[in-house]
Amino acid sequence: MSGIDVDLAVNGLITGVFYALMAIGLSLIFGILKIVNFAHGEFYMVGAYAYTLIALALGVPVWIALPLAFVVGALLGWLTERTLMRPLYAGYTSWGLMRDEYAVIVTFGLSLFLINFVDKVIGPYAYRGPPLVETSRVVLGPVLISGHRLLAAGIAIAVIAVTAALIKWSFWGQQIRAVSQNRLGASLAGIDTAKASVIVFMLSGGLAAFAGALLSPVINASPDVGIFPAIKSYIIVVLGGMGSVPGAIIASLFLGVIESFGAVYISFQYRDAFGLILLMLFLLFRPQGLFGEKGREV
Amino acid sequence: MAGLLRRDMLGVALTVAAIMLPVAGAQAADPIKVGVTITQSPPGSVVQGTQVKDGLEVAAKIINDAGGVDGRKIELVIEDTQGLPEKARAAVEKLATRDKVVAITGEHQSSAALAGIEVAHRYKIPYINTNGWSDVIREKGYPEVFNPGNYNSRVGAAAAATMKELGVKRVVSIAENTDYGIGLAKAIGEALKKIAPDVQYKYETLDRASKDFLPAILPMRANAPDAIINLMLPPAAYIMMNQLYEQGVAPSAKTWLYDGSGLADYPDFWQNVKEAGKGMLVFGLYHPKMAQPALGKQVGEAYTAKTKNEPNRLLFQAADSLFLIADAIKRAKSTDSGALIKALGETKYTGTRGEITFSKDKGYAFNQWLDVPYVTFQLTEVNQKVGDSALVSQAGQPLDPAKLWKPAK
Repeated sequence: MSGIDVDLAVNGLITGVFYALMAIGLSLIFGILKIVNFAHGEFYMVGAYAYTLIALALGVPVWIALPLAFVVGALLGWLTERTLMRPLYAGYTSWGLMRDEYAVIVTFGLSLFLINFVDKVIGPYAYRGPPLVETSRVVLGPVLISGHRLLAAGIAIAVIAVTAALIKWSFWGQQIRAVSQNRLGASLAGIDTAKASVIVFMLSGGLAAFAGALLSPVINASPDVGIFPAIKSYIIVVLGGMGSVPGAIIASLFLGVIESFGAVYISFQYRDAFGLILLMLFLLFRPQGLFGEKGREV
Repeated sequence: MAGLLRRDMLGVALTVAAIMLPVAGAQAADPIKVGVTITQSPPGSVVQGTQVKDGLEVAAKIINDAGGVDGRKIELVIEDTQGLPEKARAAVEKLATRDKVVAITGEHQSSAALAGIEVAHRYKIPYINTNGWSDVIREKGYPEVFNPGNYNSRVGAAAAATMKELGVKRVVSIAENTDYGIGLAKAIGEALKKIAPDVQYKYETLDRASKDFLPAILPMRANAPDAIINLMLPPAAYIMMNQLYEQGVAPSAKTWLYDGSGLADYPDFWQNVKEAGKGMLVFGLYHPKMAQPALGKQVGEAYTAKTKNEPNRLLFQAADSLFLIADAIKRAKSTDSGALIKALGETKYTGTRGEITFSKDKGYAFNQWLDVPYVTFQLTEVNQKVGDSALVSQAGQPLDPAKLWKPAK
C-alpha cells in the first residue's frame, strides 16, 4: 500500500464517520415512523448555522456552542414532530392506517421552507465555523490531516458509540426498539408510542445538527449545505438496511472509503455517482440492505 | 342635417380627445419596464445575485432621480432563476410575454445566460449579459445579446500572461463543472499554448455541489504543481481553498494560488478562508486604485451609502448594464426592440468602468466590449480589504515576481 493509498483510506474512513453521524438520525426515524424525512439535511444546516453564529456572533466558547447546536437541532425535531408529524398519525396505532405519503410532502415542504428562511433571515453568505483547535496540520506518518478534522472524527465516534449504547441498553432505547418492531404491539404493552416518536425526532434532529456543527469549519455553513448530507444519508440508510443503526454505520464507512479511492483511481467527476451505483446494485440484488428486514408490515 | 352631423362629429371628437389626453399623458409617464434575471435562492450564487440586484437598483435610482429616461421612470421586474438554466429560460419567457419588458439584463451565471439568450433571441428582445463569462454566449452570434461584462478569453489571456511572468512550469486549473468553469479552463490552456508553450497545463473539473475535495487534492500534495488556478465559485471555492491550505499544497513556498473567479471582493471571503487566502494572486475586475470615470465613483458611493459595503465588480457591471439600456432608449427615442438593438449596437457610452463600445467581430468578440479593464493584485494579509491589497499589475503591464509575497518553506 503506497503512501497515497494510506492517505485515501484514512481520509475515507474519517469521511465515513461523518456520514454515519449524519445518517443515524435518518435511519432511526425510518425505523420508528416508517417515513423518510426529506428535511433531514436542513437539520444539519440549522446545526451548522447554530454553532457558527452562537460561537462567532455571541462569542460563546466552541465547546459550549457545540452541545448547544445539538440542543437547537433537538428542539427543531421536537417542534417538527409535534406540529407537522403528530397530526399524520395521531389516533392511529397501525402504520397501515396512516397516510405516510403525506409525510413526504410535509417534510419536503419543511426542507424548502428552512432553506429559504435561512437564506432570507441570515443571508445567502457562507459562514465558516470556528475550529475546535487551531492546529491546521497534523502529520501521522504518510497522512496529513487538519487538527480539527481529526478531533471532530474522534468526537463523532464517541457520539455514535453513546447513541448506539443508549438505543441498546437504556429504558427509552428499549421502548424505541419495541415501537420499531411493532407499533401496535408496543402500544398494547403500554408503551407510549407518541413519546417514542418525539424522542426519535429529537435525537435525529440533534444528531444531524451536531454533525453540521462539527463539520462547519470544514464544510462552511450555507443555506443549501444540507443537500449533500441528505443525499448521502438516503443512500446509506438503504445500503445499511432501512432502520438499522449498525447497518448505517458500516454502510457509511464503506461509502466513505469507496468514494475516496474511486475519486482518485476512477474519476473525481463520478465521486458522488459511486454511492448511487451502489444504491442501484443493492436495490437490484439485496433490496433489504446489509442489515435490514426482508419485508415490511402491511 | 349635415351641419348637425358635423357638430355631433365634432362633439364626439372633442369628447374622445378629452378622454384620450389624460391617457396619453399617463402613457408618457408609464414606467419603462426592464426585466432582470438573477439568483435569489440556492443552488445558484445568491451572493452574486444580491450584488447584481444592488447594482441595478443603484443605477435605476440614479436614472430616476435625474428625471428618468425621456420623463419615464425605470422599473425593474426581477425574476429569480436559482442559477438554473431551466428557470432562467422560464424567467425570460415570462418577462418577454407577460411583463412586456423592453429589455432583459442582470444574468450573472453563464449556464443560466446560455438558456436565457435562446428565448431572448426567439422574441428578438435586447438582452444585456451582465456577468456570464462563457465565450459560447458570444459565439452564438445573436444580435440581441450584448456583453459589457467580462469574458473567458479575457481571463484566459490574463491568467496565461501572469503564469508566464511568474516563470512557472506546471500549472493546474481547478474548475467547477459548469459552462463558465470548463470554458475558462480551456481558454487558459489555449492562451498558454500561444504565449507560453513550454508550460505543462491541465485542468481538473470538480462538482460545484460537492463538499469535500480532498480526494482531488491529495494527489497534488504528492506532486505539487508550480501554480494552481481557482476557477470555482463560493461556497465550493472556499471549501476547496481551505483543503488546499490544510494539505500544505497552496499557497505555499512551492505553489502559487491564482484566483480567476473574482473571489476576493465577496463580502464573506475572509470569514470563510482566513489563512488559506493569504498570498493569493487575484484577477480583479475592480480595485479601488484603478482609474475610474466619474459615474463609477458616483455609483460606488451610492452603493456604500445603501449597503454599508465596499464596492465590488458586479455592482459596476450591473449598473453599466442598466445605463446602457437607458442610453439606447434615449438615442433610439423608442422602446421598440428593433430600434433598441440597433442603438445598442452603435453604443459609445462612458459608464462606470470606461468607454463601452461593442465589437462586431465574430466568435467570442461578437457584441462584446473587448477592453474590459482588469488588474492583478495580491492579498498579503488575512482580512485585508481589496483596497489595501498589493496592486501587482494593470492590464497589459508586466508583473514582477520578485515583488510578490510568498510563504516561507
